[in-house]
Amino acid sequence: MTGLSALLIAIALSAPQAPPQRFDHAKHQRLFPTCTACHQQAAAGEGPLYPDPAACATCHDGTIQLRVSWRAPEPRRTNLRFDHALVPVMTRAGQAEPPGCTVCHGKEGGLWMAVERVNFGNCLGCHGVRTAHLAAPDTACAVCHLSLAQARELTREDIAALPTPPSHRDATWATGGGHGRAAVSGGGGAAVAASCATCHAREFCLTCHVDAPDRAAIQALAKDPRSTAIVVHLAPPGTHDEPTFLSRHGVAARRTPTSCATCHTRESCLTCHAGTPRVAAALPPRSAERGVGAIVKRRRPAFHGANFARAHGAMAARTPATCAGCHVQGDCLACHRADAGTARGYHPAGFLARHPAAAYARETSCSDCHNSGGFCSTCHAAAGLVSTRPLRPGYHDSNALFATGHGQAARQSLESCTACHAERDCLTCHSALGGRRFDPHGPGFDAERLRRKNPQMCTVCHGAAIPTP
Amino acid sequence: MTRLRAVVSLLLWVLALPRAGPAQGYRLGLDTRAQAVSYRGVLLDSVPVSDTVTGPTGGPTSRDGFAVSCFPGFSYCSVFRPGLEQHASPLTSTADLTAWGLGVAGLSIRVRARLGASLGASDVWPGTEPALQLLEGYAQYAVERMTLQLGRQTVATRLGVTGFDGGRVTVRDGRRGLELTGYGGFGLWRGSTLPVTSSALNPLGEFRPPERTIVAGAGVGWSAALFDARLSYEREVDPSVDYFVSERAGVDAVVRPYRGLSLSGGADYDLAQGWWGNAEATLGYLAPNGRINATARVRRYRPHFDLWTIWGAFAPVPYTGIDASLSLTPISRLRLHASGEHYAFENANVATPLVSVESSGWRFSWSAGYTVVRDVAVEGGYHAEFGPGAASRGFEGNISYTAGEVLALGLHGGTLDRPLEYRFDESSLATYGVYAHYRPAPRVGVELDASRYVEERTRPDATAFDWNQLRVSARVVLAFAGGADLAGLPPAVQGMPRGPRPEQ
Repeated sequence: MTGLSALLIAIALSAPQAPPQRFDHAKHQRLFPTCTACHQQAAAGEGPLYPDPAACATCHDGTIQLRVSWRAPEPRRTNLRFDHALVPVMTRAGQAEPPGCTVCHGKEGGLWMAVERVNFGNCLGCHGVRTAHLAAPDTACAVCHLSLAQARELTREDIAALPTPPSHRDATWATGGGHGRAAVSGGGGAAVAASCATCHAREFCLTCHVDAPDRAAIQALAKDPRSTAIVVHLAPPGTHDEPTFLSRHGVAARRTPTSCATCHTRESCLTCHAGTPRVAAALPPRSAERGVGAIVKRRRPAFHGANFARAHGAMAARTPATCAGCHVQGDCLACHRADAGTARGYHPAGFLARHPAAAYARETSCSDCHNSGGFCSTCHAAAGLVSTRPLRPGYHDSNALFATGHGQAARQSLESCTACHAERDCLTCHSALGGRRFDPHGPGFDAERLRRKNPQMCTVCHGAAIPTP
Repeated sequence: MTRLRAVVSLLLWVLALPRAGPAQGYRLGLDTRAQAVSYRGVLLDSVPVSDTVTGPTGGPTSRDGFAVSCFPGFSYCSVFRPGLEQHASPLTSTADLTAWGLGVAGLSIRVRARLGASLGASDVWPGTEPALQLLEGYAQYAVERMTLQLGRQTVATRLGVTGFDGGRVTVRDGRRGLELTGYGGFGLWRGSTLPVTSSALNPLGEFRPPERTIVAGAGVGWSAALFDARLSYEREVDPSVDYFVSERAGVDAVVRPYRGLSLSGGADYDLAQGWWGNAEATLGYLAPNGRINATARVRRYRPHFDLWTIWGAFAPVPYTGIDASLSLTPISRLRLHASGEHYAFENANVATPLVSVESSGWRFSWSAGYTVVRDVAVEGGYHAEFGPGAASRGFEGNISYTAGEVLALGLHGGTLDRPLEYRFDESSLATYGVYAHYRPAPRVGVELDASRYVEERTRPDATAFDWNQLRVSARVVLAFAGGADLAGLPPAVQGMPRGPRPEQ
């Protein structure tokens, strides 16, 4: 920010403070031949700047003139260095005499005592500034203005009302490096431009910069909590809004970690990331000297699409480290070890009635989350949906002969069968030891391999006489 | 008395745990949920043949109108009458604890345990036995190149989410994207926190191994900018006889040739059975602006059975499906989604001249969501699936209001028609309900849900009983924390307080 912008505060603050009664200079032009009769300080550099109100009563005594309630205005809150006591030493090159009162308070060639508000353009002119006030060079600010930290009279409201220089409205000012370049362009070996210090102090920078301790320009600013009266809202860079940002930001962070470190502390990473990624470890932790920085909110990545709850399994199996970036094992168990008290969640409302269709064709594997014995069979048993010896017809009543032709249904949806039927039900017919001795082995059955891996299974139907292929 | 004891234990559990955590830092989350639900099944009965009559559709029925099944030569016929209405009220409380600062950098402890009780008149809802279940509980030592875990834990691979009591070590080279994992221990049965020997997992009295199985596995992964690949292997052994329970291997890979485009796939092979299990290949596209997300996939599904059952010897056949999905956001307020799949089973090689069974099926769904104003959104959709065994179709929708992360209110409703293939039982269901989620503080959350279910069953006999109910549920979430690095632990590690729930 250009330092001279603070000059406007002086204008604003020099506006009439609505005193009890204003002194009308023009009305008194015939009475006073000089300014310094009343404003001694302006001429001598000492003495009062305003006359004693009692002097007014010389005429305004209620007899000659009406009484008046004028009194000297309160000292103004300002960040100007100017003091009328300095007027006697304010000489310009080639001129031995200081400027007269009318140079600042009147018009050239104007009527006597036609006092006007100070024309601050004259300040710039005399001080050699040839630009608009807020565009003045950095070196010019401190000539007329105190730094914010020195201007103790200013309140937070005054500071919040400081004008914004046009340069600050440039698109590259906030995040394009504009203000950073301006801050270190003060010249004269200064660590920070005086123009910045006119309106800002270190706390203001901490609003965004978490790398403040590492920035010499920021450290060169004085501390002043009033500086946060100027509130800035820094929008995230446009790249952060891209849908692939969440999945690709790690690459950018590794490439240019310092760009992240401007706004982000380690906590930004840890808001989402479990563990401590290498980039996060390189960032400084949050501290009072660094400020809060960017507040990161955990959100669902774009690649977690609408169907992600059903499709995430393959991704989790393939790159568990990616999941572990933001999730811990316990997150998986919320669904994969289902809670009996949960009414809704992964499944929609009414799924209890809908689940037969989902279970028969297994759009997803039920047993990834539900144990077939402890979940399916337990509930089916309570509902009377499990078989009891001896096996009877009747439940699958859409076809009276279902029991005799159930093979295809069983091989297609065997998991569904096992939710209601125990092995003994099948052994009634499918056993080499008794019953009807129907061979249950179908396509792909590798007897020799299974006998090698676990012959105990074979003995259930074949006893000790396991046939050799 | 047992139920009362369980409730008292639950209260003591809730009161005692917040005081736990002597370590320098800890996070503790308590998530208590309860629901009241009822359902109604059937009751197997029999009637003498002499008590049957011919029903309106020509088949035999009992005198009171229930269809009966009679076997030639038997003097009694089977009949399924409406069962008693079962009421269940499971109450569960899950505690999730992470503790660190144990004197060794990188050492932490994680425990996730659940206490459950059934408050209803009958103990009919699955998952509440035994009352106390340890989901995971392990000590972890993690440094940049290695993670070591010891205790009860789970490992997720393409072979499933395997639980075991044992150890796991992961060694990684982050610079090269390599990771090597090995694990082993006493197994927990699939989808549960209990070993296969637990009676709670054997309600039908099936054959089970007499001892806990032993699980061992290994995996190696390689991640690079353009691709990821991983190999997994896992075996499970019955120590009582030293025979295999299962032995499988799997491979997963993805290639990202172009920004937004990916081709992924994987397959697993059952070394014990000698056949391929599940496999899939997916082509995915995510537009740079995020407004288009599309996938096309070919997949194969074959169920996996452990070798201590005889089910694998029945040679279950796989099916192959082709599916696609498309999500669009044409304008910022509108979200559209559609997906569909067709699948067909392989030839089961079973002659069924008397019974015709479907061998292929399809399913599709579409949905749309629109943000009416800033905090109010409307969503609706339709799904339909038809295949062997059962079918379903129906609409569902909801309207929601959210006030930041503090409050969420919503109304939801839906319809469902569900015919069954193997049984005369066509059900029509209508649901509607209301829910409220309130989070008055970052570490406190309350959720309430009440839904009404209205069902009509269509059968040509007296078994066409209705199944109407009011289902209510409640959830309370509390979080506790303490420690020097209170602000430094990520929510992902904390587990609590939870962030906004991801959309399903």
